[in-house]
Amino acid sequence: MSFTTTEGTVGMGLKRVSASKPPAEVKIYDKLAILVDVSSCIGCKACEAACAQWHDLKPPLLSEEQAPVGYQSYPDLMPSIFMMMKFNEAETEKGITWFITKYQCMHCGDPGCLKACPSPGAIIQYQNGIVDFDHSKCIGCKYCLSGCPFNIPRYDANNKPWKCNFCVDRVSAGLEPACVKTCPTNCLHFGTKEEMLYKAQKIVAQLKQRGFENASIYDPPGVGGTGYIYVLPHGDKPEMYGLPKEASISPLVSLWKGPLKLIGSIVLWGSLLGAFLQLILFGPIKVGKKEKKEE
Amino acid sequence: MEDVKKLEELEVERFSAFERVIHWLVAVSFLYLFLSGLGIYSPKFSWLLTVLGGKEFSSWLHPIAGIVYFVGVILMFLKWAKDFVLSAEDIAWLKGVKHYIMGKEEKLPEAGKYNAGQKLFGWIVFLGSAVFLISGIVMWFPESFSLGLVRLAIILHEIAFIVVGAGFIVHVYMGTIGVPGSLSGMITGKVSALWAMAHHPKWFKQIIGGK
Repeated sequence: MSFTTTEGTVGMGLKRVSASKPPAEVKIYDKLAILVDVSSCIGCKACEAACAQWHDLKPPLLSEEQAPVGYQSYPDLMPSIFMMMKFNEAETEKGITWFITKYQCMHCGDPGCLKACPSPGAIIQYQNGIVDFDHSKCIGCKYCLSGCPFNIPRYDANNKPWKCNFCVDRVSAGLEPACVKTCPTNCLHFGTKEEMLYKAQKIVAQLKQRGFENASIYDPPGVGGTGYIYVLPHGDKPEMYGLPKEASISPLVSLWKGPLKLIGSIVLWGSLLGAFLQLILFGPIKVGKKEKKEE
Repeated sequence: MEDVKKLEELEVERFSAFERVIHWLVAVSFLYLFLSGLGIYSPKFSWLLTVLGGKEFSSWLHPIAGIVYFVGVILMFLKWAKDFVLSAEDIAWLKGVKHYIMGKEEKLPEAGKYNAGQKLFGWIVFLGSAVFLISGIVMWFPESFSLGLVRLAIILHEIAFIVVGAGFIVHVYMGTIGVPGSLSGMITGKVSALWAMAHHPKWFKQIIGGK
């Protein structure tokens, strides 16, 4: 297995998995990441506004019954809401603590949506790690919902899924994503994954000095690492931030895309082969053979 | 010699017009479901969706064709389920199925209107279709169910597809080239008396006796 590069729609290398060897000269793209330092987030939700503005999204005005109680702008992601801040309050050893998280597509290294998708080219993973949807190739089967470990894609009335695309248009033009650009506290950082991990480690070390012993980096290995990484002051309780503790593609999805598919191929091709072998070894089951022989 | 020729020319009715209509309703809708399902099942067969009217269109039509198919299967069930009850003789027939495959049908217990293999395929279709329907509805509206349930439904839909799909391949083979003379039963509704006598002797005796 090797990775080769071709020019993608926005001039970036598509990550392609191929059985043949890569050509000698392949441009290598750095993996990109956004670091969310939760410890310096003030919950201002400027990133939400920047996201909606850049992507030209018009989220619906919610009725009083639908509107969430508390600080959240919305109860959940929607086709017209690619990211939102989640707020959660709980009692910890440090007293009442506010758990704030930026909630959007994580841009997994091994994306479950891509694994589940049956339509070639409908979900694209660029070499820099960005996972994007191409609606022109999407067949609307909604398998990506089952594949995603973070419950992210949202289908619109046209049966097309929407999610954060890491501002792929901005990034390919050398700009930082809209949410990072607007963040007033430097809670959001953008750069190569290597740099972001280095920065995250430094922040974690500082937090530990300040008494957050469980501070840690959220970069779940179960999905091959993510394009969004988090510094969580209470790293022992990621679920309080709305992040799954052990994020991984559901074993049911792996079963469906792996062993079961192999069994299916064997059984279906096998029954075709079996019918053919019956035909050439024993011949059609004809009538009147006995009677004719007796004459 | 004369007798055999006579029997070959003599036709007996096997399937009524109603039976033929529901058979082909199910057959055509299943063929569409089988091919479009393959396209939705694997990226390798994605081109089938293009052939069937466009990728978005055929994956949109798939669940609707499924409803048509299921209505046909319900009618089939009402019409045929009682005829498909497996008897002790049928079990003996299934155990000795290798003789049938090798063309030595006479070594097996005499079959009635439907042999044990046909009955078994009937039950595969009935049970498989129930799984298709229930799992299919969950997959059609995944946002209305829990993700775990949707993932399970996909697995069940796939297992039903493998089992019914294999049965379908064998059924089409046997109905056309595998057992010559069968296809007319589903087209004109009539088969030759010789065919009936050889493959379904018990049934043949019943209709002769009834005459």
